[in-house]
Amino acid sequence: MDQPQESLPTSKVARAARFAKTGFKVGANYVQHYAKKAVGADSPTADLHEANAAELYGTLSEMKGSVLKVAQMLAMEKNLLPPAYAAQFKQAQYQTPPLSGPLVVKAFRDAFGHSPSQIFDEFEPEARQAASIGQVHFARKMGKALAVKVQYPGVGASIQSDIAMVKPVALRIMGLKEETLRPYIAEVEARLLEETDYKLELSRGQAVAAKCGHLPHLQFPAYYPALSGARILTMDWLPGQHMVEFLAENPSQEVRNQLGQALWDFYQYQLRELRQLHADPHPGNFLFSLTNGGTVGVLDFGCVKDVPALEQQQFLALLDPATLANPGRLETLLVEAGVLRPADPATLRAMYLRTLTQSLELVGRPFRQETFDFGDPAYMQSLYALGDDLLQDQDLRQQREPRGSAHFVYLNRTYVGLFSLLTELGAVVRTKYVG
Amino acid sequence: MEPTLLKPAYLDYLRRHGRAPKTVFAFADAQGITEGEFYRHYASFAVIDREAWVDFGREARTQAAEEPAWQGYGAREKLLAFYYTLLEILKNNRSFVLLTLGRSQKRKPALIPKVLGKFEDEFKEFVQEILQEGRATGEVASRPFLQDGYGRIFLRQLQFILLYFVRDESTNFERTDAAVEKAVTLSFDLVGRNTFDSALDFGRFLLQR
Repeated sequence: MDQPQESLPTSKVARAARFAKTGFKVGANYVQHYAKKAVGADSPTADLHEANAAELYGTLSEMKGSVLKVAQMLAMEKNLLPPAYAAQFKQAQYQTPPLSGPLVVKAFRDAFGHSPSQIFDEFEPEARQAASIGQVHFARKMGKALAVKVQYPGVGASIQSDIAMVKPVALRIMGLKEETLRPYIAEVEARLLEETDYKLELSRGQAVAAKCGHLPHLQFPAYYPALSGARILTMDWLPGQHMVEFLAENPSQEVRNQLGQALWDFYQYQLRELRQLHADPHPGNFLFSLTNGGTVGVLDFGCVKDVPALEQQQFLALLDPATLANPGRLETLLVEAGVLRPADPATLRAMYLRTLTQSLELVGRPFRQETFDFGDPAYMQSLYALGDDLLQDQDLRQQREPRGSAHFVYLNRTYVGLFSLLTELGAVVRTKYVG
Repeated sequence: MEPTLLKPAYLDYLRRHGRAPKTVFAFADAQGITEGEFYRHYASFAVIDREAWVDFGREARTQAAEEPAWQGYGAREKLLAFYYTLLEILKNNRSFVLLTLGRSQKRKPALIPKVLGKFEDEFKEFVQEILQEGRATGEVASRPFLQDGYGRIFLRQLQFILLYFVRDESTNFERTDAAVEKAVTLSFDLVGRNTFDSALDFGRFLLQR
């Protein structure tokens, strides 16, 4: 683990200064790129992206808090980002240095009037893990191993100003358009503010655990309201490892398949039956263990998305195999979803239909088969390639308005996140839903 | 009247009225004692102000040391724990803090008034103890001559934190917490073994021949 970071640069000026620095360095990278081009040297855009991403990541990782969270969310949405950025930001999911012991004690005194060692039988002052808006400590009480999440002070207060700062930088550096980003940023902001509310996370965690507890090979922690507050959350310490460490020990294909199946069933059940999604499927939120041939522990309920019935129906209908085979039906559905508008000229409509059919064919592919092999890297690659193509598409770029429901943003993000988890696991999953 | 009751009565007056009583006579009279009796305990109101600050400092050190984790703390963490406990106490006495520190801020910003004199002396002793411990564990670099000036550096840090707290307007003064973490890290980066020591060592090596 890194050296404990003792400070969170909370002053807006300090953070803004960081951004200014990045902006300048990225600018320099571009100058180099074009200078090379001018003299005829080969400098592919991918290199440039990579240099910029590394630069930006270095800056963001020093800032933690919601800035990092936004970066993480953007990383999840690989379709939005050139692959070089996505790869850089994924690191951020593990590497955030912790806060000092006395500040943790202070957080406890603020919440309960007692220090952690008075509340628990045993409390490790060193954080075991760091999350983007909090850190996790190991504790023991009455023989039970507990995970205690402590939120960084001042996170809630700084979210809005952070997002206001991230936006122009994200637009400029990542080459995204304001219209592409706006609905996304609004959603992210709403989810982030919810995520700082540990009381909400506690009630949601309990609710989801109660509703999904019957699904096989999944494990949910029990929460302890008496030991939790607005900034402190106490739950069971689940056994298992994070994805990277778990995979380093070369689990067998059977184990991978079972883990992948558990994840797949979990999300299918949430979307179809609960209409509520654990909308943050990044690897840091799951623990993998060999218990019973492969068990997934689900950790973080800070980001839960309610899916309105209408959007759920539209989404499921789009994924239905019959839809892709029938262009007329697809068109009707897209009009219903507000993606196509009656006033659109014919050429525009044809362009949308073409690109959407293309993406639907790819994104919906696992849903149209009995079983699907996520171990095939070609699938994820073509998914990213599609995202890149869409970003580069001149016709599409000229469309200045985003279309369709903002809820699709999260559905899309959730499934892309799930697909990338399954790809990393290399799991073969029975994808047909048997309700 | 007991002198132990005189202090709280005065502080209570100060907080309620936003200023010291007009005269010692008026205050003593309200407490049912003669003016002469007041002077047997305190020479002036300013003396009580100073003593109140000393009490804050002592209380913070005692409370911080009562924390079970204290024994396991290194020098840096002990200083952090002291600051956080002190700020907790000051939060409960913020009106008094603003009155005693804020007044001088209007006239001469960033100047620490005399009221902190004894409080600061005791703080310096506390820092010396911590640094001594830190040197024993290697957390603080041993630098003969130079290290005598450390007390002053940490005093400036304390003053910075107090002034930050006075001006802080964030909820629950969370920004002050962040300022404390930043400032303490910086100071311990400076007094810990760093580039400076390596440069000195290198210079010494070159001068030997």
